[in-house]
Amino acid sequence: MGGTVQASRTPDWLLRGEPGLCRCGPAGIRRKGSFVEKTLTGGADLLRQVMFSEEIAGRPGLLQRLDPRLKAVSLVVLLVAVGLVHHVGTLVACYALTLLLATASRLPLAFFIKRVWLFIPIFSGIVVLPATLSIVTPGEVVLPLWHWHGAPQGFTAQGLTSAALVISRVATSVSLVVLLTLTTPWTRLLAALRALGVPRIFILIIGMAYRYVFLLLGVVTEMYEARKARTVRARRNDRAARGFVAASAGALFGRAGHLSEEVHLAMVARGYRGSPRTLHAFRLRAADAVAAVVVLAAAVTIYGGDVLVGR
Amino acid sequence: MHIPDGYLSPQTCAAAYVVAVPAWAIATNRVTRVVKTRNVPTLAVLAALSFLVMMFNIPIPDGTTAHAVGAVIIAIALGPWAAVIAVSVALLFQALLFGDGGVLAFGANAVNLAILMPFVGYGVYRLIAGRAPLTSRRRIAAAAIGGYVGINAAALATAVEFGIQPELFHTASGAPLYSPYGLSQAIPAMLLPHLTIAGAAEAILTGGVLAYLARTDPARLAATHRDVPATAGEPAPAGGRRLTPARVSLGFVAVMVLLTPLGLLAPGGAFGEGAPHELNLGQLGLHAVPAGLAEYNGFWSHTLLSGYGFHDGQHANLAYILSAVIGIAVVAAVIFGVGTLVERVARRRRGTDPVAEPETA
Amino acid sequence: MDGSEPGADDLVFSCRDLRYAYLGRFPALDGVSLDVHKGEKVALLGPNGCGKSTLLKILDGLIFPDGGTFTAFGQPVTEDNLEDEQFSAGFRSRVGFVFQNSDAQVFSPTVREEIAFGCLQLGLPTGETAARVDDVLAMLGIADLAERAPFQLSGGQKKRVAIASVLVMNPEVLLFDEPTAALDPRTQAWLIELIADLSAAGKTIVLATHDLDALDVIADRCVVFAEDHTVSRVGTPQQVLTDRELLLRANLIHERSRVAL
Repeated sequence: MGGTVQASRTPDWLLRGEPGLCRCGPAGIRRKGSFVEKTLTGGADLLRQVMFSEEIAGRPGLLQRLDPRLKAVSLVVLLVAVGLVHHVGTLVACYALTLLLATASRLPLAFFIKRVWLFIPIFSGIVVLPATLSIVTPGEVVLPLWHWHGAPQGFTAQGLTSAALVISRVATSVSLVVLLTLTTPWTRLLAALRALGVPRIFILIIGMAYRYVFLLLGVVTEMYEARKARTVRARRNDRAARGFVAASAGALFGRAGHLSEEVHLAMVARGYRGSPRTLHAFRLRAADAVAAVVVLAAAVTIYGGDVLVGR
Repeated sequence: MHIPDGYLSPQTCAAAYVVAVPAWAIATNRVTRVVKTRNVPTLAVLAALSFLVMMFNIPIPDGTTAHAVGAVIIAIALGPWAAVIAVSVALLFQALLFGDGGVLAFGANAVNLAILMPFVGYGVYRLIAGRAPLTSRRRIAAAAIGGYVGINAAALATAVEFGIQPELFHTASGAPLYSPYGLSQAIPAMLLPHLTIAGAAEAILTGGVLAYLARTDPARLAATHRDVPATAGEPAPAGGRRLTPARVSLGFVAVMVLLTPLGLLAPGGAFGEGAPHELNLGQLGLHAVPAGLAEYNGFWSHTLLSGYGFHDGQHANLAYILSAVIGIAVVAAVIFGVGTLVERVARRRRGTDPVAEPETA
Repeated sequence: MDGSEPGADDLVFSCRDLRYAYLGRFPALDGVSLDVHKGEKVALLGPNGCGKSTLLKILDGLIFPDGGTFTAFGQPVTEDNLEDEQFSAGFRSRVGFVFQNSDAQVFSPTVREEIAFGCLQLGLPTGETAARVDDVLAMLGIADLAERAPFQLSGGQKKRVAIASVLVMNPEVLLFDEPTAALDPRTQAWLIELIADLSAAGKTIVLATHDLDALDVIADRCVVFAEDHTVSRVGTPQQVLTDRELLLRANLIHERSRVAL
């Protein structure tokens, strides 16, 4: 019953050749990609970056050799020490130290610096700029720009110090975090968090969420590409993209729900009953003990040195 | 919206962890108890989803970007405690994979986005939705408003955390050690984009996803909507509307006013320490805030504040309280406005429906 | 109808008049009876949506029938019974399920953890689990993938990992849902060979498939479902493949399809 019936049901226009709804040649009109496209490209970058990180984490370097639990604790200790510093000089010294550690861990230095500083202009540079002015941070005006009710207004010493403090502190803090994440394979980091007392159920959720971020990202990319392939001409890119986000979010939520049910069945089928068990075991080595002492000494030196310079 | 390390003092971060850790403990406990095995994959997939939602930065006309969070829709579908876990995990990824949001500041980010936001948003949703049927417009509007209020509550909390830094932590010469903006600058700077773009994004996301689920997949909403009729089969009782927009906005004001003093109790008692720098608020109001707000700010700072001795050491407390009052008032006014609008639309629809129904029936 | 042979002591699964409807409204099984004996290879055939996957999920104790009875290894399998820790552990270790969607089945951060998951849940010591994982990795030729994350795997590799994660528990019965669907020809051929090997090693195999080409290799007995969610025919692959009318009705072939025998 199939073949002939099928053919007769096909509308005529589909069987006729057509030159296309608009001409194929270029008309000189280009549109910039919408924010959705940028995000999806960013998603692909994320994937590449994650794979690159895993590769770096496998290199034989100083930090790669240390126990992930120790590294996680050290990160927090050092972040607090850096957080308590009052002098730009101390922060710059700490930043130099992170560069040293990066080199010792065989991280490509250019990549490391770029990774840290890419965020800083966006999140801190622009944000902090107005704070250098007397209207935000009052104080000693070092470079007057205009006058208000007879008082000089402009860059203040306090404002400039504050901006320098924020930027150097953010740079150092981000560098420390990146040092940890680039030298520790993701799964080891998870296992370390587990060993440090994060509840098992949290670890399982984190591990699984990490796995499904990439799957769902693929789903969104597919939905977007399918839609883009069908879009002949769009008035305004960002508006259309906003519509796409709203429409696909619902569908994505539904798909995500379905997926989670399937995963649940797959887990139950292999004996999961609500209390997950994991494989990892850690062993502290002599090197870790040495590193722990070094980190503690460093933290004390950073804080103590800063206090000694004066408050 | 994600606070990076370096913007908050370690003391503030510690205080945030003091709030966040018990919340995580309760959330884990609650979620594990309710459904034993199903929750792990569900929460994992939702966390991944929230992470993706946060990745989609929507361009704002001024050149920066804003993004939705998804905390409120997760709270609506699975309850606020589930949202606490899912959004916390998403924030952890942001911090570790993207370097977006700090590690010390993770607790503060979690308090704002993963704890405050789902609870405030879910509360508003429950209040407005009442017992309206699942597919009703009122319920969808309630979700949208819940999302809107939720993200703004989170933005306000973030702004308060930023804003208390310069007063509490500065060098001997008065240079702020961490975020340099005081409350009167941080609150408008945070709320402006959130009251407009990010709030709208969250509202569309929350309302849109709820509408989609109510229509195609109501089973997914079962956990939090047991006593709610699925369709508009039965007409809503005339006296069923317990909540007017005024009451909802008043409720919001009450909650926020109760929360406000927390900012003053935050670490240290460093307020009146006689900091040598003078924070001239009247002048601040005129210039610190980007162009559009300057006029409005200038108005009240001159008429209201200039006579209150803002040049002495007490200005910080007052400035804090005032900015909090303004922030709360703005959000409450918006809730009231949107609520009134929704009510009016609903009334108009109800006005026409009885006419339409006899014809079809 | 159920085509059972004498000798009830080697009975693995016994289903009587199973009924199941999704959300209580959409029927998936409407009175299905089936016996599966030890060492058998049973293929479930039929159009999409006829209830094959539903039956597999019932056989794996993941969902429970609205009506009818299901016994495995002589014990009734109910939601209540599976709450019992010992019964559950026993049943889960004896029956393995390879899902159609490998993405749902491969949920751990790395391949190694994925494969270890089942053994760890069932309480095997870590040392023995690790050794078993290595053996299975080697057996399926995926040892080099052990530390990879699932998103770095191709479809065929993911399927291998999914199968490894089930085989590591050494189940007596293996359930496959559309095992060869969406795989490249080489992986398909490998998988068919693997199923034959597993059967030769004494495993009982139940699979849902559309793949008629390899039917005589992967099945001793075929159960053909009709679109009305009932079993319309049980027979050997030879009997089923020669019944053109039946294959057409079950939407397994098209009018112009040629069945190579």
